[in-house]
Order: sequence, then C-alpha cells, then structure tokens
Amino acid sequence: MNRESKRIITLFISLCAGFILLIGYLSYFQIFKAEAIRDNQYNKRLWIDEEQVLRGSIIDRDGEVLVYSQEKNSQVERIYKYDYLYSHIIGYSTREYGKSGLEKNFNSYLINANRNTAINEVINLINPVGVGNNLELTIQNDLQKKSRELLKGKKGSIIAMDPKTGEILSMISLPDFNVNTLKDNWGEISEDTNSPLINRGIQGLYTPGSTFKMVTALSSLKYHEDENIYNCEGTLEVDGYIFKDFNSTGHGSIGLKEAFSKSCNTYFASLSLELGHDRVKEMAESLFFNRRIPFDLDTSISRFPEREVGKTDVAASGIGQGRIVASPLNMLLITSAIANDGEMMKPYIVQRVISPQGRDVEVFGNEVLGNISSQVDISLMQEMMKDVINNGTGNNARIRNVQVAGKTGTAENASGKNHAWFVGFAPYDDPKVAVVVILEEEGSSGGSSAAPIARDIMIYALNNIKFRR
Amino acid sequence: MGSSISKIPIRLLFIFEILSLSLIFMYRWDNLDFNTFATGIGLILLVYFSNSVLRRISSGDHYIFLIVSMMFSIGLIMIFRISSDLGVKQLLWLLIGIGVFFLSYFTIKKIDVWDKMITLYLGVAYGLFAMTFILGSRLRGAINWVNIGGVSFQPAEVTKIALIFFLAAYYFNLEKYSKNKYSEWIVMGIVYSYIGLLFLQRDLGTALIFFGIYTGLQYIYCSGRRYELANLSLAVLGGTLGYVLFDHVKVRVTTWINPWPYINDKGYQITQSLFAIAEGSYFGTGLGRGNPAFIPLSYNDFIFSSISEEMGVFTGIGIIMLFVLLVYRGFKIALLQNHKFYRIVALGISLMFGLQAFIIIGGAIKVIPLTGLTLPFISYGGSSIVSSFLALGILQGASEKVVKEDEYNE
Repeated sequence: MNRESKRIITLFISLCAGFILLIGYLSYFQIFKAEAIRDNQYNKRLWIDEEQVLRGSIIDRDGEVLVYSQEKNSQVERIYKYDYLYSHIIGYSTREYGKSGLEKNFNSYLINANRNTAINEVINLINPVGVGNNLELTIQNDLQKKSRELLKGKKGSIIAMDPKTGEILSMISLPDFNVNTLKDNWGEISEDTNSPLINRGIQGLYTPGSTFKMVTALSSLKYHEDENIYNCEGTLEVDGYIFKDFNSTGHGSIGLKEAFSKSCNTYFASLSLELGHDRVKEMAESLFFNRRIPFDLDTSISRFPEREVGKTDVAASGIGQGRIVASPLNMLLITSAIANDGEMMKPYIVQRVISPQGRDVEVFGNEVLGNISSQVDISLMQEMMKDVINNGTGNNARIRNVQVAGKTGTAENASGKNHAWFVGFAPYDDPKVAVVVILEEEGSSGGSSAAPIARDIMIYALNNIKFRR
Repeated sequence: MGSSISKIPIRLLFIFEILSLSLIFMYRWDNLDFNTFATGIGLILLVYFSNSVLRRISSGDHYIFLIVSMMFSIGLIMIFRISSDLGVKQLLWLLIGIGVFFLSYFTIKKIDVWDKMITLYLGVAYGLFAMTFILGSRLRGAINWVNIGGVSFQPAEVTKIALIFFLAAYYFNLEKYSKNKYSEWIVMGIVYSYIGLLFLQRDLGTALIFFGIYTGLQYIYCSGRRYELANLSLAVLGGTLGYVLFDHVKVRVTTWINPWPYINDKGYQITQSLFAIAEGSYFGTGLGRGNPAFIPLSYNDFIFSSISEEMGVFTGIGIIMLFVLLVYRGFKIALLQNHKFYRIVALGISLMFGLQAFIIIGGAIKVIPLTGLTLPFISYGGSSIVSSFLALGILQGASEKVVKEDEYNE
C-alpha cells in the first residue's frame, strides 16, 4: 500500500476516533450526569409537568391538613397553613428558589409522575392524573406547636420520636422562616448569619458533650472495662491538659454507674484512655457516626475522629469533646435504641403515600437498622440513665408518676458558650417517647436548661399522642 | 450495476419512515391537516423516486444517497414535529436540494477541466467573502447571511466547496506548482486568509471546518514536515490570538468549561441543550412528548439535542453512526478512484461532512466549545440543505468517474 492510501486510512481512523469520543461521552453523560442535570431547578421541563398537576396535600398523623393545593382562576396555588411550623420539615416549592424538605424529597410522589415516560402515559390513561398523591406524616401537629413554643427565643432543636417504631413525632429547629413570604424575603433569609434555612435537628453538627458518654459507656460494657473503681479528685491531667469536673469538685471513689449519673468527666476521660481510640470509635461507628443515617430528609453525618492524635484527644473523645460532632437526630437515635432494648429503628417522617382516591400507594415504617448491644449491657445502660434522672444531673426532667431516663450534656465549643443537651425517654418500663433537646450556645448546663424542656415535651406527648402500637 | 444493490436497506428506511410518520399523525391527531398528509406522502415519494432514479442512472456508489435519505428523513420528521410550517418548507428545500444533487452530479460528469480552474476557485471564494462583508447581515452574532431578492443564504456554505476544489486542483498539479518553492506557503497563506475572514465574521464553526479540511488534505498530500508543523503552530497561535482578541471566542470557551453559572445568559443555549439530552435518556420521551421547543434553535443548530430528547440518545448515537458510514463510503470512493483530482475532492467532501457533524454534535453535548453550525442533511435551512446536496452530488460523480488510461495520473 502506498503512502497516500495509508494516510487516507489513518485520517479515516482519526475521524472515527472523534465520533467514538462523541458516542462515549453521550453514554457517560446518560449514565452518570443526566439525572442530576434533569433535576436542575432551571430545567423548565420539571415545571411543565408540575403545573399541570395539583400537588398533593400533606396531613399530620391525626389527619389534620398542613399543606394543600387549590385551583384558583385556573392557576394552581399552594397553601401552607402554617407560616413557620413546618418550614424545615415540609419546606417550600418555588419556581425561583427551588425546593426543600419533603417538597423536594417526595416531589415525585406529590406530583404523582416520573415525567412523561411512555409507561407513565399508559398509566395516566387508566388513572387520569391532574391530582398528586397525599402524604401522611408521623408528626403530630399539636406536639409540633408545643415544641416550637418551648424553644421560642432560643437557637437549637427539639425532636421527639417513638423509640419502638422510629416515627418522628415532632421536629423543630429554630431559627426558622416564613414559607409564605419566602419569595419576598429570600435575600434576607438566605444571607442571615443564623442560617434559618438549616434544619438543625438533622443538619446541625454539635459537640455532643456528656451525652456522648452513652457511647463510651456502651463500649466499656462491651469490653468489660466497666468494673473498675476510680478515685475522682475533680481533675485529671493527661499530657499536660487538665480535664475538670463541673465546679472541679471530686466525686471520690466511684464506679461506672455513679460516674454516669453524676456525669464525671475525669472518670470517663480515663475510661476512654483505657479503652483506646479504636474501641470507642468502633462503637460510635456502629451507632451511625461517620455514616449517613437513612432518613426522609437530607441529614448531615456525625463525625468521630478517624485517627488517633495523642492521648489528650482520646481522653476528650470519651467525654464527647474534642473533634467529635454529632447531629441531634443521631443522639436521639442512640437514646431510642437503648430505650427499645437495643433495637435501633429507622427514623421516618412520612407514614403513608395516599392516592387521591384514598388508596395506599406506599406505606413506610418498622424498619430495623440493627441491634446495638447485648441485652445485659442495654439493661445496665437503661438503669444508669434512670439514675441520671433520679440521683444525678437530670433531675429537672423528672415527671410525677412516670419514670424518665436520660442523659444531660453541657458541651464546650469554640463560641465560648456551652451547648445545653438533653436526651431521654419515658416511661421507663414501656418507652413511648424519646426526645432530644439541644440549645445552641445557651451558656448554661443541659440539666438546668434542656432537661425541663424535654420533660414538658414528654408530658405533652404521653398525654396527647395516639400511639399506634 | 443497478441491480447489484440490495433492496433491504431501502425497505428498512421505508419502515422507519412509516413508523415515525404514524407517530407524527398520532401527535397531530386533533388537528390533522393537509400539511401533515402532504409532508408524509411527499417524504416517502421523494425518497422512493430519488433513490430509484439514482439507481438507474448512476453506476457509482448507491449507499451514500441512501444514508443521506435516512438522515434527512429523521431531520424532516423532527422539524415537522417542532413546527409544521418549517417542516413543509424543509420538504421543499429537500426537493430543491435533490434537484441540485442531480444537477451537480451531471455537471461534474460532463465537464472535464475541473482540475485546471484553480484561479476560478480562488476568485469564487474571495468574491463570496467580499459579498458577505458588503451585503451581509448580522444574525445571532455572526455576519454570515446574505439576502438577495428575498432569499437569504450563507455564502460560506459554497466557499467550503470552493476551498475543496482549490486544494484538489493545487495538490493535483503539485509538480507544476512546486516549481515555485514558496507554493506551499502561498497556499497556506490563502487558507489562513479564509480562516481569518471567517473569524472576523464570527463564524467560528466554519473556520474550524476550513482548518480541518486543509489539515487533513495537507497531511495526506503535502510532503514536508515543516509545513505541517507550521500549520499546527499557526492554528495554536491563531486560536490563542482569537481567544485574547475576541470576546465572542472567550465566551465560547467559558461556557464550554462550565456553563452553569451563566445559565440565564451566555450559557443558556448549551444548558438547554443538555437538559433536553438528559430528559431524553436512552429511548427518548417519544415523538411529541418532549419539549424540544425549550432549546433555542431547536430545529437548526440544536436539532441533535431535539432528536435526542424525543427519540432518545440511541437515535442520537444512530445519527453519529450514519455520519461514520457516510464518511466511510466517501473515503472508500476516494480509495477506489483512480483520478487524483476526484480522489482529493471525494476526501475533502467526506471530511467536510464528518467534521461539520463532529463540531456541531460535539458542541451540543459539550465535548468541545459550541460553535454555530448546521448538522448536514438534518438541520432545517435552505442554504445548508442545498449546499450539502451540491457536495453530495459531486461525491456521487466522483464515485463513478472513469478516467481514460492516458489521463491516469500517478
């Protein structure tokens, strides 16, 4: 073959390579990128579909309507009955600023369509749309209102859940925003340094402080490091860093149970040193640190340090300080699992998707995430948490006639003002409600400020909620 | 020869046409009108008659026209779906285009002095450029349309063919011209003067095609590393200068790297195109079920995205394969052609189709920066259709040109 023919063939091959590049990129694009691009809020196709559909209603666990759509002058209107109450759970759906909350994550249910695919067209022939599916939540509207009242004027979050089923009964995060005037105040809301758009209950990450002692304690029970008696002198020096107890007063010679109920920092710091970084980390990770909690809304991942960087750090981890951060939902999940005899239930907020005709399209719930510890260890944990209420730092959460169990936390952080934590559940013998309260940069102890709020939530929930079981 | 071609491909083509036309009928069920019937029947008759006439009169390649028939069928159906008025017009343009195809096929066969008219090709090219600058109107940022007597067309479409003939005539007579040792440099200068003029017209896509055709033919026919190196350095230099000097070049690059921050202004076209392709997924939304009208120029520069949305990326890949086949047939024609001039012409035209398809498809899917070009035989547009058929007619002629022994030139 002469030079000319050879070069002609080479040229042809390079042109083909160009075309193969196009085909390769098109395939790559469809497999890896198309979905995200399709869901881009600037894609007008999303709105074409939606504007033909009357978006479904959202109701609470007792059937109270929270959000609905109506047609007015041939225009679809979305009516949010509460300005603030559901700004984080239900969120918003606007053409300009996109969607959030359940409006975003359950969008395809609410508009009852997965776009104009051929299959959907056929389905639509049989079952004419125009109306989306409704959502029934696990939330109870009155408890939600009560939570917001209790938290008013503070920054932070309250979440209540049924530890045996994983139903989220209420979830409040403050500061929040008015969904009905969102379009007018978008600039103000999105630039607010207090970040009202963030759902602190599931997206906020806080130093857990002493509430993390639940994890350290579970780890020590697992590895039988719990029998030591330790002489607490109020301070403990590790590599030159001094760990102090509240008021620096010593607890004297104490065991795990008393150290837990008195929230003795020096005990848990030295316990963590004995256990070592890896064992505490192992327990933390089995409890969804460094892993995403599966949930109906977008959650942030709690962090436990990946690698050990010195003894001070390990000791700090044991008392929930240092580099650990946790989401309130995560601490609630751990509390619920302890309340539910070690079985951790998947938290959820949407109970059912109901078709406009009233048929169940999908029912959620009763999913188990795993067993966190042995029966014996869990019983001990439960007792220790009862002791926190009866003889320890959590006595502000005490309820007459109902035994409560819990743990307080007062987390030091960069702001200089402590976060006040409380996690707990009640009744002790047959837990129906578990609750987490976090008051961001409150500056006081968990026992004094968070525990009373938790108590009110638990009383209200036990008196007003129709539990499903 | 006419009987040697299998009838299976054309039957498959008819099946495709009948199926997609019935989709069009379903889509327009509620307002079926004369135009719908006329376009449907017109398309089938056009494809049937042009293919069977060609089979009888031409002893050359019968596949290129078949491949092109498939292309313009897909294009016409998509354009008709977007706008029935444009669809009817496109059918008329196809009719004219196919007429031009036969005309250019006969002309190329009848005339034998094509290789001796190098000055004519030069004159035509510069004349067309001059006309564009004098009479041209700015459309979508580029001055590349000329309006004469109510008919507007893009002179650059014809200039492309003049360039191919110019290069063919030069390389065919290389021995004669290379007596002047600067001849290769002069040719390079002429080609770059075209490219520079196209830059000034802001017609970057066509400039790229000119560069590609020249580089490809130079690679095959020009012996001398230094010329190729000079060409590549000039391209790099020109590209950089263009980027620095012209804002319109900068915009193309910025929106290629990341169009999303400019979604509402300069990145609008490309992002709308990507939305459409993403929406179509593998099998498409179905004809009439997507929203290709959201894409600017959905029936023209972005017809590939419109087709991908409603007929799926598999159809898009099918279109790319059709261009591979067309280029393959064109190169095969070149390899079988004894006459060097027609060989170069066949290569140049195949390169032109291939490059143009690559540049506009690559632009629409964001593999390369977006430059405005039509997709040959598929996009809507008179001058694009007519000039593409003009080139195809030449290719058809080149596929059967038998030369007398004494003219054999090697």
